[in-house]
Amino acid sequence: MSNPTPPPAPEKKTVTVVFDGVPVEVPPGINLIEAAKLAGIEIPHFCFHPRLSVVGQCRMCLVEIEGIPKIQAACTTPLKEGLVVKTTTEKVRASRAANMEFLLINHPLDCPICDQAGECKLQDNAFGYGEQRSRYDERKRQYAGYDRTMIGPHVVADMTRCIQCTRCIRFCQEIAGTGELTFLDRGGRTLVWTHDGKPLANDWSACAADVCPVGALTTKEFRFRRRVWDLEKTPSVCPGCNIGCNISIENRDGVVYRFLPRLNPAVNDYWLCDYGRFLSESLNARDVAKATVRGGSEVSDVIVPAAIGRIASVIRETIDADGPSGMLFLGSANLSNEENFLVRKIADHLGCANRDVVVDRSRVRRMKSKTEWIEGDHAAANFAGARDMGVTPGPGGHSLADVLEGRWTPKVVIVADGAFSAAADDPDSVAKLRKAAFLAVAARTSNALTRAADVVLPASSLAQKEGSFTNVQGRVQRFDRAFLPPPPARAHWELLLLLAVALGWGDRNWTPADLREAIRAEVEGYAGVSDEEMAGGGLLKKGLFVSTGAL
Amino acid sequence: MTSERVLLARVGRERSQSIDTYVADGGYATLRKVLTGGWTPESVTDEVKKSGLRGRGGAGFPTGVKWGFVPKDTKGKPVYLLCNADESEPGTFKDRLLMEKDPHQVLEGQIISAYALRCRSSYIYIRGEFYEGARILQRAVDEAYREGFLGENILGSGFSHDITVHRGAGAYICGEETGLIESLEGKRGQPRIKPPFPAVFGVFGAPTIVNNVETLSCVTHILNRGAEWFAKIGRNEKNTGPKLYCLSGHVNRPGVYEAPMGLQMKELLFGDDYGRGMKDGRRVKAVIPGGASAAMLTAEEIEDCPLDFDGLAAKKSMLGSAAIIVMDEDTCIVDAATNLAKFFSHESCGQCTPCREGTPWLHRVLGRIEAGEGRAEDIDLLEKVSNQMANGMTICVFADAAIAPVLSSIGKFRDEFRYHIENKRCLVGPRSEAAVTVTA
Repeated sequence: MSNPTPPPAPEKKTVTVVFDGVPVEVPPGINLIEAAKLAGIEIPHFCFHPRLSVVGQCRMCLVEIEGIPKIQAACTTPLKEGLVVKTTTEKVRASRAANMEFLLINHPLDCPICDQAGECKLQDNAFGYGEQRSRYDERKRQYAGYDRTMIGPHVVADMTRCIQCTRCIRFCQEIAGTGELTFLDRGGRTLVWTHDGKPLANDWSACAADVCPVGALTTKEFRFRRRVWDLEKTPSVCPGCNIGCNISIENRDGVVYRFLPRLNPAVNDYWLCDYGRFLSESLNARDVAKATVRGGSEVSDVIVPAAIGRIASVIRETIDADGPSGMLFLGSANLSNEENFLVRKIADHLGCANRDVVVDRSRVRRMKSKTEWIEGDHAAANFAGARDMGVTPGPGGHSLADVLEGRWTPKVVIVADGAFSAAADDPDSVAKLRKAAFLAVAARTSNALTRAADVVLPASSLAQKEGSFTNVQGRVQRFDRAFLPPPPARAHWELLLLLAVALGWGDRNWTPADLREAIRAEVEGYAGVSDEEMAGGGLLKKGLFVSTGAL
Repeated sequence: MTSERVLLARVGRERSQSIDTYVADGGYATLRKVLTGGWTPESVTDEVKKSGLRGRGGAGFPTGVKWGFVPKDTKGKPVYLLCNADESEPGTFKDRLLMEKDPHQVLEGQIISAYALRCRSSYIYIRGEFYEGARILQRAVDEAYREGFLGENILGSGFSHDITVHRGAGAYICGEETGLIESLEGKRGQPRIKPPFPAVFGVFGAPTIVNNVETLSCVTHILNRGAEWFAKIGRNEKNTGPKLYCLSGHVNRPGVYEAPMGLQMKELLFGDDYGRGMKDGRRVKAVIPGGASAAMLTAEEIEDCPLDFDGLAAKKSMLGSAAIIVMDEDTCIVDAATNLAKFFSHESCGQCTPCREGTPWLHRVLGRIEAGEGRAEDIDLLEKVSNQMANGMTICVFADAAIAPVLSSIGKFRDEFRYHIENKRCLVGPRSEAAVTVTA
């Protein structure tokens, strides 16, 4: 049954490339290596990187192209209609084996003591495409004075491992725009180093180690701390600022070892700034291990339900005595949308309009997405989300500023995050909050505020909970839990939910997924945001989980 | 038989570098004729095409055809002409002579060529070690400006042109035209990926033609005396014009010789007007006919060997830069191959893996054999490593050049390599310095 009036054929937006006899439709304008990947064919490579200029130097990606007698580098072959690419011929196999042999003749074959092992392209391609034995029997090249040397605040260079692919040089030139790295000397003596020995000290310097396919550039902070194959990779979002770079929290046995950038072309692409990256260690800090309740001058450990019960009873007594107007609920730009939503709902439930969230400003941080530079100047990740959740003074309500500037003194202060801003460790600010008859705080690390509080609840780190942040673009991004907080500590949302239930609202079996369901129903702009693909404002989406280590 | 000297006519004349003597000898008359005598750029290009002139730098590509590759519509970009004076091929010293002894001949050819290409600014990229040549060329450029052969509105023709002399920093690879372009742009001298070719995307992203010093020098004479005259010189219509041969090695009279393209190798080596035979009457063992990157020829192969592009291609070697290096029977071929491998190992730019890693490998194995530490399997290894370096394995043809002396010496003198390995010494002569293993 033919259609009598077929619709006009849509304009062709793909090109057909034949890979090993199989025609594949691929979008025009991408690199042949990427096109092959779409066709499910791996073309091994070292120097090619999707976001860096194509230099065709490593020669690992050689393929045969029909109609061209000589073997060709795939990365430098323009994609065009009808291209016939052969990746399985004897000539291609031999060229890959030859290049692997050349790359390995001067490379130390000491993978067991190299920190890159397990995420090393040289190792992978040697296993995939190299010969078992080398015919090289001469002395290996040494780079005395250029081995195991700090070339910047974070990056350690070891030129004996370098394969001269220039990815790091191109990263510094083309992405960071700072151009600290260069080739020195030539031929078999070529090495990568900084110009005139100046430090590799741009804001994204550790990305040079990320793009390094071998162990030539590594970071001081992670080097030799853990074998990479032992690490669990948890998709998360950087807590450093409101750009919300996608990260992989690399952890093991309840310890965070490093952050790696997680590919999201719309936000951080393949990159992560040094500031955010090296916050990873701060996630391991904890000195609030138990719930405490102050009775007079005595501070005593209690179980978490008892501490929450104490907060709930104080709140109820205060409301019974003179209504909800004497209470202040503080959300936090460090906390997730779900957590801030709970803060708002508790205040709403009690009829309290005094709720607020503040954020510290930081210097402007910049991140290059696939298409643009994104700027953030918050010292926390989720100020936008907290405000979206309604953690702002309601009609006639008081703000934190009213307290800190002496215009109003609350009777009860509930602080959802003990590290909500620098004010939490500022004696004057804390003294003003302490004027309240009752001060409760959830925290992971102690500060002036926790020391002053009547009740302290042991809370969690970013790695110890799931949730979502809304970044400077309005993009709602999920993060997963890497591991549980050490008991009796709990995620902030659990503590808040327990408090809500104690106050007569909510269900203690709710999960963050249920809270997101509630957010979708209530919060403007969040309605179309599915749990799997957290999209804010209907246009912004969470990136797929691809660890950059795999590129 | 002595032929007329064309390119070297003024070499040896007193004050040959000065513009006064050049003009007195009829210099710049051809430029005047071209610029004011009704020649269009197209007609100049056609004349060069008709002459059959092929590039003298090494590849032998027809010059006029190359000029024709510049797009008609350059999309507002200027066209650049670069004179490749980075003469670095071992055994080659003809351009140096032209520049140092008759610089205005080069400049006149360059200005005429620039006119044909509608080029406003051109460069002479001269190798860093040619300090004297750069000084002489710069003085000649200054003189040409003073006399109105360069600058605005040359000879009232409306054509304006500037020439800049740029010194390289001492890298063989900057003689490769895209390496030269990168270096001229102030970057590391590394050949570019082609396509795009320089005629479309060259220096500063603009259409660019790179021609050798000798090629540009020929252009003046073609325009002066006509393409037909030029085409008649030489062995056949595909190998035309006068040619400079750089003769070095174990001959009685090494030097630069001019002869019609296609001179017989034996004539160059033994002729009274040329090399005048081997030193001390020794026999020829091997000849490198076209610079270090050309395959060696044996004494048998130089019989009936016309020194031109096709004559040498027929013998699976090449004319290259016409650097004829003669080795007598007392030359150790392993030593010679080691020496050449050392050169290529030193000059590889280092960007492509096979060349960066392969050239030092070849040098080390050859050095080991030369030092008496070779193994039976090394000969096989050298051939295998060589064969996995070239033929598309790298961006430029440097690796192809680097393996030519290795493969040809092994191919033609395998017994000598075997002797070296088995007896731990040369068949002839002492041990070479190049054999000392270098630590890269």
